[in-house]
This record gives sequence, structure tokens and C-alpha cells, in this order.
Amino acid sequence: MNHTLHIQLSSCEGAVIRALGLIERRGFSLNSCSVSEADGNGRVMKVSVTSTRPGDLLKRQLERLHDVFYVELKPAVISKLQPPGIRPISRRI
Amino acid sequence: MNPSTHIAPALRSGSQILIEALERNGVKQIFGYPGGTIMPVYDALVGSGLRHYLCRHEQGAALAADAYGRVTRKAGVCMATSGPGATNLVTGIANAFMDSVPMVVITGQVPTALQGTDAFQEVDIFGITLPIVKHSYIVRSVADIPRIVNEAFQLAQGGRPGPVLIDFPKDISTGMSAVVDIAPAAPLEARLPDATALETASKMLSQARRPLVIAGGGIAISDSVEVFRQFAARTGVPVTATLKGLGVMPTDAACFVGMLGMHGNGAANHAVQNCDLLMVVGARFDDRATGHLAQFAPSARIIHLDIDAAEISKLRKADVGIVSELAPALEGIRPERKANPGWCAQCAGWKKEFAWRYDAPVEGIYAPKLLRDMSQAHPEGLTITCDVGQHQMWVAQHCEFDHPLDHISSGGLGTMGYGLPAAIGAKIAKPEATVVCVSGDGSIMMNIQELATLKRYGIDVKILLFDNSALGLVRQWQELFFDGNYSEVDLSDNPDFSAVASAFGIQSKSISKPEEVSDAIEWLFNTDAAALLHVSIDPMDNVWPLVPPGKPNHKMMRSNPVKGR
Repeated sequence: MNHTLHIQLSSCEGAVIRALGLIERRGFSLNSCSVSEADGNGRVMKVSVTSTRPGDLLKRQLERLHDVFYVELKPAVISKLQPPGIRPISRRI
Repeated sequence: MNPSTHIAPALRSGSQILIEALERNGVKQIFGYPGGTIMPVYDALVGSGLRHYLCRHEQGAALAADAYGRVTRKAGVCMATSGPGATNLVTGIANAFMDSVPMVVITGQVPTALQGTDAFQEVDIFGITLPIVKHSYIVRSVADIPRIVNEAFQLAQGGRPGPVLIDFPKDISTGMSAVVDIAPAAPLEARLPDATALETASKMLSQARRPLVIAGGGIAISDSVEVFRQFAARTGVPVTATLKGLGVMPTDAACFVGMLGMHGNGAANHAVQNCDLLMVVGARFDDRATGHLAQFAPSARIIHLDIDAAEISKLRKADVGIVSELAPALEGIRPERKANPGWCAQCAGWKKEFAWRYDAPVEGIYAPKLLRDMSQAHPEGLTITCDVGQHQMWVAQHCEFDHPLDHISSGGLGTMGYGLPAAIGAKIAKPEATVVCVSGDGSIMMNIQELATLKRYGIDVKILLFDNSALGLVRQWQELFFDGNYSEVDLSDNPDFSAVASAFGIQSKSISKPEEVSDAIEWLFNTDAAALLHVSIDPMDNVWPLVPPGKPNHKMMRSNPVKGR
């Protein structure tokens, strides 16, 4: 199952690597990751992960990090679970 | 402002600011080992109000600080230099992390300008410890020290406690600043339970025919032992305990069925496998407690109480999760009626059926009986620290504890070498306690150097060393699950442990016959200083019962099917 999470975190030293390390160590493989400055303070990290474990568990594990202000778990992307044969053609272009 | 009345804050070194910040946070004792980059801090230590205990290995210092933190429920503090000093702390930090122990760790670091250049004794301890700390800092400015130290204590002790690391570069410790001190941070705000969840939990308990509570280590960590006992008395629900929950209920309490899990009591494992409602209080479904998870408590609905939201449904889905301080949650769960008397009677029946027996046909000294007798001979209570292995399980099974903090055992990490430094930390934290370190011949050698710490500071710790000339628990598994193919478990060339103790200036005695036990135990407790009693036991003694790996908890082995013991 794929999960997408938006993580607002401090810009303190180690915040990004701490969150990324937790993601992999807790059994979620990282598909993509981007880090950018947040509008207010800190940074926003957007990650896409794959795991058999539930995304809300990862959300709660990230939330207990002192550096993490807020985690938003985006709804799961269902289309990826559909067999290839019933995908709309437009998705392949 | 009138310039004549303005007094500029005095310039102080980073080390002085650090030491004073520790003092302001209530630190009285600290465990450590000096070295290159931490030398300015050791310089500032002289003449301060802190008592420093020099352990003989940084791991000993970290594990002593761990036990100190468990007993006092305040952060234990340890300190070491950069590089190997810091890496030697790692096992102690992981131990504290796994068992939710408050700890503040201070490591020296090479000067900022040299970081990242592979300088002498440079290691990225911040990076190495990321997965095993609750939080960590590299100090980048002298002026940040008071804030960082305050935060470190607030985080280490608040919520679910854990270790916090402060990496302290040498240019920061020698740098000067006029930063003013700040008062220690207020404790983190207590998290209170959700009223609807309490109501649902109360209703589920009222409806349950076969309810059971698992009491975990979180009860003692959150100082909720009394509230838990009141809850148990009010509801009448039978109680089992994890390794770290032992002592939450008196062993002889009618509703208490003992420890569950791999080496748990048959009564506890049968109760847990047959219950229809399981209320888990401050425990985390560790695999040593659950056995095969998919078959754990198969008919039970789950109420899970924990301060850490990430524990709810981590391993077993909770029907109701209550994220809260435990005491208000326990006070708020009020079933309409007491637990079903028929079920309580069944649990009491199991307790009787699976009561420990001490008539095993062994020729030599039977360790479980010795431990039971020692425990019962001290109704005033002992504080027992354990190493890891067969003796650790025998302590959990056969000693009685008035309070969970009287049983200091490395639960999550299972750290061989914990017992002796833990005894040092526990005795310093609680000088009035009679502290016994129960160890094995494998474990004691992992931190044997701490005998020198005992001697140097005159710390009165009693060491009970069971010697089966083997790595007993590994040998037992090789006997049972590896067809008796014994691989690297023979320790029959052990040193003469009595002579080793004597060489460190510690009184010692060796016994090997059952008729010597009584006098030897009396001798151990009547010595007025640290002493070591070396007890030779049968190398083939095993810990029973045992839930084999991958099996559910009720499939306990009670003896080796081939040899019958």
C-alpha cells in the first residue's frame, strides 16, 4: 500500500534525517521525498512510502518526534491497486 | 537605565554554564568517564555541587545512569568523551530507549571547525544514536546551553520518558558567554483521557465474561501503582504482568495470576489465551510477552491504555485506545459490576494448578529455590537488579516484589552486563535499600570492571552470581531447538570468580552444595560492605516453562521431552 504524508517539521539540525530514518526503520520504504521551506517557520517534507503497515501508524510515530510539528496523511491512492487491464488509457499516456 | 546600577552578567565558559544548568535541573549525581574533548567539562566539575562517579567503562556509566533514572523517575545523567567514549555509551542509551527510562547523555565532541574532517576521536554520535534517543542536540552556540539543557530534562522526563543526548563540541565548552540562567522548564502538560473512550471501556468491562488486565512497565514509570491497585480491587478483574510490570500487584493477591509470556507462568498464559476482554495498561505487546501474535488472546477485544499514541494498534488492533496519563484513565474506567466470579475462580484454579514447585530432582543447588528463599527471607523487600539470561527469568519467576521499581531488569534490549552497573546506580539512587545484583557467569564478565567502582566508593551491593559454566539460555535453546548442537556456549574455563572479587577488594565466597546455601545467604547479607557469593549450579539446568518460538502462549513446554527436565 502506498501512503503520502506531508510533514511539517523544525529546521533544526537533524530534523529531516531523523524523520527519514524513522520512516525506513519502522518498515516503510521511501518512494519519493521533497523538502522545502515552509511559509511560516520550519520546513515541509512531502514523502511517498510503501508498506504493508498502516499509514496512520507511521503518522503517529512521526508525530512523537520533538522536531515534528504536524503530519498530514493523504488519502491512499486507490488507482494503483487496480489491475493494469482496467486502467483508463489516458493514464498510460 | 542608570548605567551605574546596571550589572552586566558575568562571562562564563560553556562548561560552567553546562554544570550550573545541570544543577538547576536538580542533578546531584552523575556517572561518567573523562577524556580529551570532555576535559573542559571535567575541569568545571571540580568544586561544583555535582557528585561524579567514575565508572570503569562508559557502558557501565550509561547503565548505572539508566538504573538511577528508573529508581528516581528523574533523568539519570552520564557523560563521556567523543569517539570511543561516546560509542561505548550506545548500549546504555539503547537500553534506556527500549525501556522508556529518563536519561540525559552528554558527549564531548571535537571542535566545530574540525567536525567532518575525521579528526582524532571524532565520531558522529548524533547520527549514530538517532534511532535510539527521544531527542538529541549538537550545541552550536554557548548561549544555547541553558535552553538546551532545560529542554533535554523536560523531554527525557515528560510523557513517555527516554534518553536525550547533548553533543558538546570542545569550542563550545571553552567558549565564553554572558548568557543568563533560566529556570528549569515546567514539566510537559499531562495528557488526559477522552471521556467517550473511558465510557466505552467501562461498558466493555461491564459486558465481559472473562476480562483480564495486563499490567506493564508504564504503571511504575507514571507513578500509578497505587491507583492501579485501587482499580484492581474495585473491579476484581484478574491481573497478569509483563516482566516490567512485576510488583504492581503482590504475588499472593488473589486476582494476580503472575507473569505472562515466553517464560511466564502457566496460569497467566492460560488466562490470557482464554480471556474475552484484554485491558493492556502501559505495555506494548512485546513478542516475548505475546508469543505468536496472530494467536495471542484470540477471543479478546482489546482496550489499550498508553501515554504514547504510537503504541496503540502498533501490533494488535485496539478496539478502544486511550492515550493518556495512566492514573486518570484508570480512575475513569468504572464498570457497573465486579468481574464475573466464575472466571475469577477459574483464574485462581489455574494459579493453584501452575504454582511453582521447588522439589525438582536436582543434585546440586536449585537456583529457583535459592531465589525464592532469599526473597521470602527479606519481607522488608529487596531491590534486585538483574543481568540477562536464565537467572533473569528465575528472578522474575521466583522473587516477590512489593513495587515494580524494586525489580530492575533490562527488558526491551536484554543487555547482558546490565546487572552490576544497574546495582551501582540503584544503590546510589536509594541508599537505604538492600540492593542485590543477580548475575550469571556470562553476564558478569561483560562489565566485571565495575567491581572497582563498588570498591572505590564503598557501595554496598550484594552480588549473587549463578555459575553454570555456560551461556545458559543460549545453551538451552541449542538443546531444544538446534538438536543439541552446542556452539560457543561452553564457559567451563571461567576464572575463579571468588579470586577475581578478592583481587578487586570485594569479599567473596563460593558454594556448590545445597546444604551450604542457607549459611552463605546469611553471610552475604550480614557483610557490611559489597560482597559476592559465587554459586555453582548444574550446567544443564533449564528455565521452565518455555513457549517455543512461533508458538502461542498456551503451548508451553514444561520440560525437555527427551530428558524429562
